[in-house]
Amino acid sequence: MNNIKYNIFLYILIGITASMLSSCKKSYETVPLGQQINLSLAFDPKDSLGTEALEFLLNVYNVATPYGYNRLSGNFLDAASDDAISSASGIPDIQKLATGAFSAASPNVDNVWSSYYTAIRSATVFIVYINRVPLAEKLPNGNPARPAYRSEARFLRALMYFELLKRYGGVPLLGDTIRQITDNVQLPRNSFADCVNYIVNECNNITDSLRTQSQVTPSNYGRVTQGAAMALKARVLLYAASPLFNGGNIDPTNPLTGYTSYDINRWKLAADAASSLMSLGTYSLMPKYSDAFITQATPIGSNTEMIFWRQGGSNISVEQNNGPIGYTSAGGNGITSPTQNLVDAFPTDSGKAITDAGSQYDPNNPYNHRDPRLKMTVMYNGFLWLNRPVQTFDGGLDKPGGVIQQTKTSYYLRKFMGSFESVSGSAIYSNTYHDWISFRYAEVMLNFAEATNEFSGPTQDVYNVLYALRNRAGIFSGTANNYGLKQGMSQSEMRVVLQNERRVELAFEEQRFFDIRRWKIASQAYNIPLTGMDIQQATNGQIFYNIIPVLTPVFRDPQMYLYPIPYTEVIMNPNMKQNPSW
Amino acid sequence: MTKTIFKKCVSLLTIVVLLFSQVCTASYYSQTKTFLTDTSTFLLRGIVFDDFGHPLQGVVIEKKGAATFTVTDEKGNFQISANLNCSLVFKHSKFNDIELSVKNNSAISIKMTERYLNKINYAVSKTTLTSDTEYLSTSNFKKVKILYGENNAENLVSPISAVYSNELSTTPASSYMYGLVGRLPGLNVNQLSGFRTPLTSPLTSLDIFVGNIPNNNSGAGPTDNTEFAIQLRGHGNSAGQSPIAIVDGVQREYYSLDPESIESVTLLKDGLSPLLLGQNSSRGALLITTKHPQAGPPRLSITAETGMQSSLGLPDPLAAYQYAYLLNEALLNDGKSPAYTSADFNAYRTGSDPIGHPNVNWYNTILKNNPLMSRLNLDVTGGGAVARYVVSLNYMNQQGMFQSSSSNSYNTNLDLKRYTINSKVDIDVNKQFTISMQLFGRLQDGNQPGAGTGTILNTLLSTPNNAYPVINPDGSYGGNANYTNNLLSMVESSGYIQDHVRDVMANLDLKYKLDKFIPGLWADAKGDVSVQSANTLNRSKQTPVFDMTLSSTGDTTYKRFGSTVNQINTYNTTSWARYWFAQLSLGYDKSFKKNNVGVAMVFDQKKSLINYDLPSLLTNWSLKGNYNYAQKYLIEAAANYSGYNRYQPGHQFGLFYAGGLGWNIAKENFIKNNISWINQLKLRGSYGRTGNANIDSYGYYNWMNYFTTVVPTYAMGSSYPGQAGLVEQNGTLSNVNATWEKADKIDIGLDISLFNNHLQANLDYYNERYFDVMQQRGATIQLIGMNYPYENIGIDRYKGTELTVTYQNSIRNFNYFITGNASFQASKVLYMDEQYRQYAWNKQTGHPVGQRYGLIADGLFQSITEIASSASIVGYTPHVGDIKYKDLNHDGVIDQFDVAPIGKQKPVIYYGLTLGFNFKGFDFSALIQGVQNRDQYVNNSYIDAGFQSQNNSYSQAYQQLLGRWTPETAAYATYPRLTAGGNAYNSNPLYYSNSFFMKNGNYFRLKNINIAYNIPDKLIRKYKVAGIKIFVNAQNLFTHAAYGAGDPEVSMPNYPIQRVINTGFNIKM
Repeated sequence: MNNIKYNIFLYILIGITASMLSSCKKSYETVPLGQQINLSLAFDPKDSLGTEALEFLLNVYNVATPYGYNRLSGNFLDAASDDAISSASGIPDIQKLATGAFSAASPNVDNVWSSYYTAIRSATVFIVYINRVPLAEKLPNGNPARPAYRSEARFLRALMYFELLKRYGGVPLLGDTIRQITDNVQLPRNSFADCVNYIVNECNNITDSLRTQSQVTPSNYGRVTQGAAMALKARVLLYAASPLFNGGNIDPTNPLTGYTSYDINRWKLAADAASSLMSLGTYSLMPKYSDAFITQATPIGSNTEMIFWRQGGSNISVEQNNGPIGYTSAGGNGITSPTQNLVDAFPTDSGKAITDAGSQYDPNNPYNHRDPRLKMTVMYNGFLWLNRPVQTFDGGLDKPGGVIQQTKTSYYLRKFMGSFESVSGSAIYSNTYHDWISFRYAEVMLNFAEATNEFSGPTQDVYNVLYALRNRAGIFSGTANNYGLKQGMSQSEMRVVLQNERRVELAFEEQRFFDIRRWKIASQAYNIPLTGMDIQQATNGQIFYNIIPVLTPVFRDPQMYLYPIPYTEVIMNPNMKQNPSW
Repeated sequence: MTKTIFKKCVSLLTIVVLLFSQVCTASYYSQTKTFLTDTSTFLLRGIVFDDFGHPLQGVVIEKKGAATFTVTDEKGNFQISANLNCSLVFKHSKFNDIELSVKNNSAISIKMTERYLNKINYAVSKTTLTSDTEYLSTSNFKKVKILYGENNAENLVSPISAVYSNELSTTPASSYMYGLVGRLPGLNVNQLSGFRTPLTSPLTSLDIFVGNIPNNNSGAGPTDNTEFAIQLRGHGNSAGQSPIAIVDGVQREYYSLDPESIESVTLLKDGLSPLLLGQNSSRGALLITTKHPQAGPPRLSITAETGMQSSLGLPDPLAAYQYAYLLNEALLNDGKSPAYTSADFNAYRTGSDPIGHPNVNWYNTILKNNPLMSRLNLDVTGGGAVARYVVSLNYMNQQGMFQSSSSNSYNTNLDLKRYTINSKVDIDVNKQFTISMQLFGRLQDGNQPGAGTGTILNTLLSTPNNAYPVINPDGSYGGNANYTNNLLSMVESSGYIQDHVRDVMANLDLKYKLDKFIPGLWADAKGDVSVQSANTLNRSKQTPVFDMTLSSTGDTTYKRFGSTVNQINTYNTTSWARYWFAQLSLGYDKSFKKNNVGVAMVFDQKKSLINYDLPSLLTNWSLKGNYNYAQKYLIEAAANYSGYNRYQPGHQFGLFYAGGLGWNIAKENFIKNNISWINQLKLRGSYGRTGNANIDSYGYYNWMNYFTTVVPTYAMGSSYPGQAGLVEQNGTLSNVNATWEKADKIDIGLDISLFNNHLQANLDYYNERYFDVMQQRGATIQLIGMNYPYENIGIDRYKGTELTVTYQNSIRNFNYFITGNASFQASKVLYMDEQYRQYAWNKQTGHPVGQRYGLIADGLFQSITEIASSASIVGYTPHVGDIKYKDLNHDGVIDQFDVAPIGKQKPVIYYGLTLGFNFKGFDFSALIQGVQNRDQYVNNSYIDAGFQSQNNSYSQAYQQLLGRWTPETAAYATYPRLTAGGNAYNSNPLYYSNSFFMKNGNYFRLKNINIAYNIPDKLIRKYKVAGIKIFVNAQNLFTHAAYGAGDPEVSMPNYPIQRVINTGFNIKM
């Protein structure tokens, strides 16, 4: 009896052991499903479609290309320039950037160091490994597409180096090495000149292999084109030639913060780079200024002005984030308050500055007879929007007072929005294309004009750029056909005009913030209190305008011309040199 | 369902009340009245019963004043020579002492009641009736649970502390963790939330490009402990460090068990006792043993109880007029124009315009008082020589604190219903072979308002009293453009979210004694399968709000905000898991005269399959042995070769080992023969090299190089929003060298038991060096373009002392006890690959683990001149009333160089004190629990700063802010000047902490109090019940905190800690 039971026990024991041993048999994958894409699958030497590799490239695009609408904790970068302030209560991060409330250890909100070095690594991974993939795809001209994709990644990498360069000065160039946990990454910074040369060389080397605008098919809409590489080169050379780096180095003998000597030929290089893009004939100004921002480019749309952009899709986010707050059914958070300083920069519709005699400017009716770009850039009191006038007088629907977020300057942002001045049906927003344009033709023209003026003075070419832009804006050509521009200006007079034109034309496109730095005029531009309008409406409807200060920015010259390298990068890496005064 | 249970409760209650009305006197024994005139001795017979009315063996009966005693036999019978009016004392380690005086010679019957506090008895020498000297109480030596078994307390060389069923079952709570607070020295149980937080997010999300994608990429499994942070000996600051829960010998994360169904919870805390856990042995273990079968006729125990909960530590919101006034002050401080006029103040104060100027105390509006918590418990156990069984059934219903509306046909309130069944059967197939089976099942059904408990509590915390009216005159919910979701509608009209958790666990344990081959040899095979699935049913909706305005002509308009979102009906799996556990042991226990030897070989493997993961496999090959000479000199050792398959192949197995020595001085003749009041004096020590494979907390197969898909990414072509993209392993470098954390643990202890075991004390000193602790390296340079992973870098030391002192005794029938424990815990970072720090005070190495660093506040600025002469943060101009920070390096700027440790750095002291008595059927016990040298960082942006930027407006503010700095109150202000919109200078300067908000965190609570009355036997005998007990107990009745505002442990927006006042009864049959 006992023996039988003992045997039963033995059998059970054997059974359990056997089942346990059999459970040791591999019944599952050895590599988890989410982690099965290894290097030879991601860059598959057998995949002639290169599916995974091209997905990898998409992610490089995703991190590398900026999307500037309300990018910085809800605000435009321009809200840290003299063009606008944030309407947010308290001390929003963007205001800390404008008032210098940041340091190396507590970086400002536009701290791109980490995210760009992440994307630079990704771009390099693609550049190094894409040659393993036997891509069969051909460009419309019969050339293999692989060099084009590889050049796209090189463009994106060069673009990121440029974005770092304009913020920090010379930065470490990592080359084509992909570093692992065991590698030493305590690298020193490359000089400013090295970085410029590297970016320019990359642009030169990739231009031929990239698609031309006409080779872009609808499924490749948004890819880097030859035009983009040329536009980047033109912009890099313009920055390199600009006073901050060329002759005005804040630390004159420090090759990291700029060139150590002035060379006028740098302006020539910049002008030539812009000129060669203009002579392609691929791009042209859109007939209507406001359409340039809400129309898609060829081959999908009809926009001829966009050179490189990031798709934002068709939605109402820009309108809702920045629109006036009184349209409750349409929604509007009014986060951006353009300044009076910006509004005053717009000339009159005859092309004259509002301070000029005979400009027809009327301080009691300040928005009448103005450059039409004004009403395509900002909304002001009485501006028609969604079938009713915007009310930014004190107590008006769009500036009611109290605790709600609202404009601080009596202006709201208008640029980039759809044409909702008057809409049929209920007064709400409908979907509009909101691609963020990094490079557009108008900027290339202005780059050309500025570089040409600096190298050879205000030639007719320079005037022609201004005529074209003002013509498109809708400024009257005038009897003399000079769009209100004084003839025979000196180089420095022209410089002032060009700087103002750039401010007006490219407002809220992340240009002004860096322009005032590279022109080395930030300490002046930021030393003027930023103002807004205080508007009182009497019971009889009469309106009184008062200019009031809204924010006094702080600019520590020369420290703030460059961002500080993040403190941890400097403290963890003995080879990393901090920027002056930080 | 609840209604029927309620009816049953009511009928039971009626019986109890009837019985109670008959109470006149309490009596412990019955006797027939035969008068004796003789004073000579006679033989008194009697029988002793336990609290179920079953005969009780092993009760020691002493005649007071005489040196003799007797012990009851297995039928509970005893006989003792007695004389008239002599006193007899009945003693048993599990039961309260009873003393009675003999009135006549008729047979007596005694019923004993259970002790509240378990008692460990060590041998006491006595003389029996036949004048033999015998070591008494050996029969009721307390066996204590050790990992995968039990042992005599006398033989242990490791510190063991345990909590038994009485202490747990008097805790009115949903989980046994509540009952551990303050009771186990070395275990810090910090409450985080007053209610469980169920999983509601789906396991995977559907993507149109790549199908189902897992939402969680870590291999760490689900846990049902969402209310407590558990630390062993202060260790638990990095992930995956808390003690492992081992339920009935199987590692399972069950914390949400009914305290009533648990027999004991034992804490294994040194290096030796949990060594068989191998790669988890550093974490220590909580051994949870549910009630096990007892032989004999059926014992049925029914407990029903209901408690009223109330929330503690809710903040006091400012009334609307105070809010408006203070917001104006804040705006003026910021240089902005005020938002409210004096007409507004008046309207808020007088309530004359409840729609335009509402003043709503949202706490009173959406929370209800005294939600109920009910529990029903049934245990039955019994059996004979061949088979024994126990079945426990539990039902629990805990209600949440939200209001609900009778207009809903469904429940919207937060609640938890739990049904548990636990059954165990032991079968003796023959004298050698025992089969034990266990089946455990648990259903947990949770509910919460459709808006979600977390969202509601956050909104409640942040919505000002004047945000909008609750209800408009037309009955619609109030709201406006900025508040498009009404708080009341969030709790009562947002639908509901249900969650369901199902657990099944089956255990099979085969034990065989192989004595016929080799005497003392045994084999044991254990298998366990358990399954858990959790899912959620989301039937939430949103109700629109209306903003009522009066036009100048007096017309009322209602403007609608927030869309009507139809009730959705989404069903999702939130988690599922399967666990397999198998264990084979072969052991040998034998005594050779005074030499006692025990050896065992153990192999076990735990396989877990969690969600969509691959199975994780933890394998242990262990060898353990113990030897003692006459229980005087003790040696114990264990070695474990343990592997975990989440490490890189070739790096999966490691060796862990431990050993201990003990010297039982009380057994030495020089004490045994001379000092009779020393029952136990044991010096012991243990050392262990333990490990912790916590790699799951840092990712999933993170040694591999791989690419992952991210969606959606960049929009290329005409398709928006974009296609899938590929990234390098989620942005973190692969960690090819990852290995388990390790620790060297030393524990030295002293166990003392004196005066017939009335006074007992345990003292432990421990010193633990943890190394290879997962940390990020100091040079995590961003240039490499990837995050650095957590690597085996850190070295930390933890040391401390634990002391427990217990005194139990009785004065006639007054049984009383007092037990206190205290733990002193200190830690130190020995190495952390710290980045370069310019100044000594910036350094973190050498400070306690988890030390908080920040700026040192030096009062508030009182004058412009003071500001002018002080350092400040770049870009910020301080105002009077702002916090002044210490410029430690005197460079005129407050920056990263002025960061230093803030708060105390003394050893933290956790203590608990339990005392109580039993007298004439009354039981009383109370637990006081507290912490000393604790820091509390009090910096809730809504409560301690207020007026945060939100909803295009400003958030709520609380009474605390009345202590803000103003020129008038400059001398005694408790807060800096007010600002609006989140000026971080005072609250979060440069994203650092700030010692202004570091408060004294010391506190103590009257954690638990219990009063019970056992209805006298003679009143209930005719109802055929063995015992009826009625009780009242309370949890968190009183708290004293050094920093008075709010609760010291749980603060909003976490679900507040609850005070529970609970009443019920227990019937034993």
